[in-house]
Amino acid sequence: MRMSLKVNGAAVETEVSPISRLSGFLRDVLGLTGVKEGCCEGECGACTVLLDDEPVNSCLMLAFQVAGCEIVTIEGLCRNGISDLQQAFLEMGAVQCGYCTPGMVLAAEGLLRANPNPGEAEIRHALAGNICRCTGFETIVRAVAAEAAARQRAGR
Amino acid sequence: MNQISRRVPLVDGVAKVTGALRFTADLDVEGLLHCALVFSPHPHARVASIDAASALAVKGVHAVFWHENTPARYYNSSIWFAGQEALADERMFAPIVRHVGDRVAAVVADTEEIARLAAKLVAVEYVSLPAIFDPEAALLHAGLAMREDGTPTFMNPVAYESFVRGDTEAGFAAAELVVETHITTPRSHHCAVEPHACIAKPEPDGRIGILSPCQSVFAVQAVVVQALGVPQEQIRVTKTPIGGSFGGKAEPILDPLCAFFALALGRPVMIRYDRHETFTATRTRSSVMGRMRLGLSSDGRILARETETLVDFGAYCTGGDYLPSSMLQRLVRLYDVPAERYRGRAVYTNTVPAGAFRGYGSPQIHTVAEITLDIAARRLGIDPVAMRLRNLVGPGAIEPWQGLDVGNARGRECLVRGADAFEWEARRQMGTGRGRWRRGIGVASATHINGCYPGFHEETTATLKLLPDGRAELVCALHDLGCGADTTLAQIAGETLGLRACDIAIVPADTDTCPYDLGTRASRMTYICGEAIRRAGVALAEAIRAAAVLELNTEAAGLRLEAGAVRRQDGSGLALSDLADRLVARGVELPAATETYRAQANPGSYAAHFAEVEVDRLTGCVRVTDYLAAHDVGRAINPMLVEGQIHGGIQIGIGYALYEDVALDRITGVMRGNSFSRYTLANASEMPPMRVVLIEEGEPTGPFGAKAVGEIATIPVAAAVVNAVNDALATELTHLPLVPERILAALG
Repeated sequence: MRMSLKVNGAAVETEVSPISRLSGFLRDVLGLTGVKEGCCEGECGACTVLLDDEPVNSCLMLAFQVAGCEIVTIEGLCRNGISDLQQAFLEMGAVQCGYCTPGMVLAAEGLLRANPNPGEAEIRHALAGNICRCTGFETIVRAVAAEAAARQRAGR
Repeated sequence: MNQISRRVPLVDGVAKVTGALRFTADLDVEGLLHCALVFSPHPHARVASIDAASALAVKGVHAVFWHENTPARYYNSSIWFAGQEALADERMFAPIVRHVGDRVAAVVADTEEIARLAAKLVAVEYVSLPAIFDPEAALLHAGLAMREDGTPTFMNPVAYESFVRGDTEAGFAAAELVVETHITTPRSHHCAVEPHACIAKPEPDGRIGILSPCQSVFAVQAVVVQALGVPQEQIRVTKTPIGGSFGGKAEPILDPLCAFFALALGRPVMIRYDRHETFTATRTRSSVMGRMRLGLSSDGRILARETETLVDFGAYCTGGDYLPSSMLQRLVRLYDVPAERYRGRAVYTNTVPAGAFRGYGSPQIHTVAEITLDIAARRLGIDPVAMRLRNLVGPGAIEPWQGLDVGNARGRECLVRGADAFEWEARRQMGTGRGRWRRGIGVASATHINGCYPGFHEETTATLKLLPDGRAELVCALHDLGCGADTTLAQIAGETLGLRACDIAIVPADTDTCPYDLGTRASRMTYICGEAIRRAGVALAEAIRAAAVLELNTEAAGLRLEAGAVRRQDGSGLALSDLADRLVARGVELPAATETYRAQANPGSYAAHFAEVEVDRLTGCVRVTDYLAAHDVGRAINPMLVEGQIHGGIQIGIGYALYEDVALDRITGVMRGNSFSRYTLANASEMPPMRVVLIEEGEPTGPFGAKAVGEIATIPVAAAVVNAVNDALATELTHLPLVPERILAALG
């Protein structure tokens, strides 16, 4: 079936199999391998993308379900260089092996778009669907809190 | 010091945070074929027949492999170099399957979708054999694992280790209190977020190139050579970025199959396990049944200790036969115990194989020892911190088993400074509360090794070379598992050369281009590889100064390397890039230095962890509410990465204490915890706030005083949490994990 959507700011018009998962479509058809697959059952969050600003597990959606929507993957988040949120992840040690990182950054970005001033418990709750086995989440939570504070200060 | 003790971000961090880093499953390989495996639904069975016709008839299927058309060669997936002695009991595809999830057949096809569809069409007939899941029962069934002709491969117990020191009976007779415990630790799983994957591709010269997210390219090569029976030079292995390992990717599981399929078909092949397969068909932590008897004086001195361990390493030995001795090695370097008796055994069962997992026996044995010690402290009415201080070894202690010097051991400082920062005393006074929710605090100490010395080839060769642009290239077969080893080691190299960590170009580990190395295991990267790199850096700095003496026509005295330049005492000098330009222009080879460092010691890293928990007496749920970890790291080359290791170790340890168990069914052998929805990990909401106290007293044999932190980070955690739960409830719970059912049962 044919569908059109917006991916990382660009209009995409494509043929898609009705049984293709969104994660597979983004990786295999569009080559966006920043979308990681860790479980394919919505438990690990590695495949998190923003669907109209909201974080979703792209492994739990069929590609055709996002027809007419806007998708942002990690590749889209750093179109103009590395974002401040990504920089905070780097500088605060919130990245180790890097496999969960794209999904984690997008889950955090989705939180900050919906709630610009989250408390620590809200950050932890928003990231509860993203598994990281390296960091114990401590520095990830700190990085998101620091970026939230920086956005507040800058009025972004 | 310019690079040392600095919070340098990961040198490969930008590629990670932007998603640009390509992991194995992200690689684009021309003509790549895909693979799906058929796994045994039976815990022990003879494969009577395989009919692959229906699978082969599917369009896009290239081949079906099983035991009749693959090499009938036995191998051990835990060898690290060619010719290493090990119990070779595993085959690519077994004629007799030994656990639910054992490999039976594989389909190679144009796409993974086709391969998985066709794999369902492979018709397999099994003849069931009796299966054993209980390690104590397995002791009575010596010939559990059999070859196809019916001969037992190896006899249970496969490994046996014993040790006696002093007169334990006299010690127990003199004791004020004798405590006996029976403690069990679970089969936990690594849960690296990247599932297992491997690519093998035929090269034009007839060789096979393997792209593997591994912990040692040389171990992969050795195992593939053993499994395929090909010459070593035919196999080239290159390490790909690794999305977490924790020991789970230490053993080449997919690599022998992938290499054989690529060789047989003349096409590149990828095998990628899904999450379910990564749980059921790779490795777990071995479970241990521990019995400990501890005799103490009235003031809490350990007078005698007897320990018995029974290790269940599952269906294949891998490195499981080392575990009884590994646990002994780590047990005897924590406390000064005048009379000691140890017996450790390891057995086969018809369960998923165990293998390396962060700490290699240390979390198991310290969990047994530290829970026992706390029970003793409570019965004696002594503060568990004070009791540990009374028994801990100090700097220069000689451990009694191998006679190794534990080095600048600062376990006491970890306890004292950790207890102070945690406000242990004040919290002890607060009590547990009276209502539905009870609060408790727990402490545990631990120690771990630094490298493999005195075993194996505990040495590393590092080459550092000046590059034309003034940076330096490092060749040292490094395998960064995500811990930041590349960054830490680049800081060490940079420190010696007046460069920044990001100026060190690290050549990826590759059997063709790097000298042999044991790989990332046994907490050896910073301590062993770091020292080799430091020495190579010192030698290269000397070579660069010598070249500069000629170029600048100056005295050698006072020439120093800093900020990417070689400078005289007055600050004048030459940028390294300019020096390199001049040398290149004159046709002089750029300075390089190679150093081989052979370890001469194996000091201990020490730690003390403190946990506060809240237990719901109605539901049996435990929440860790506060956590502090004090670590004797010698010196933190990169404090941010050291803290990161500790934070991550705590997450794995809290799971080990409270939730994580692959839950093998005692009747069917089926794994119940085989997905992230059925295997609980502590997520962001469940993790407590964590504080880290670093004790930096310097280890004389380590690079810039550094020693290991990677594995010890997770070792004391489970005992600290269990001890806190026992404190909260006044219980003596000893069977991990402390799931709500177990807690409610203890509360009656």
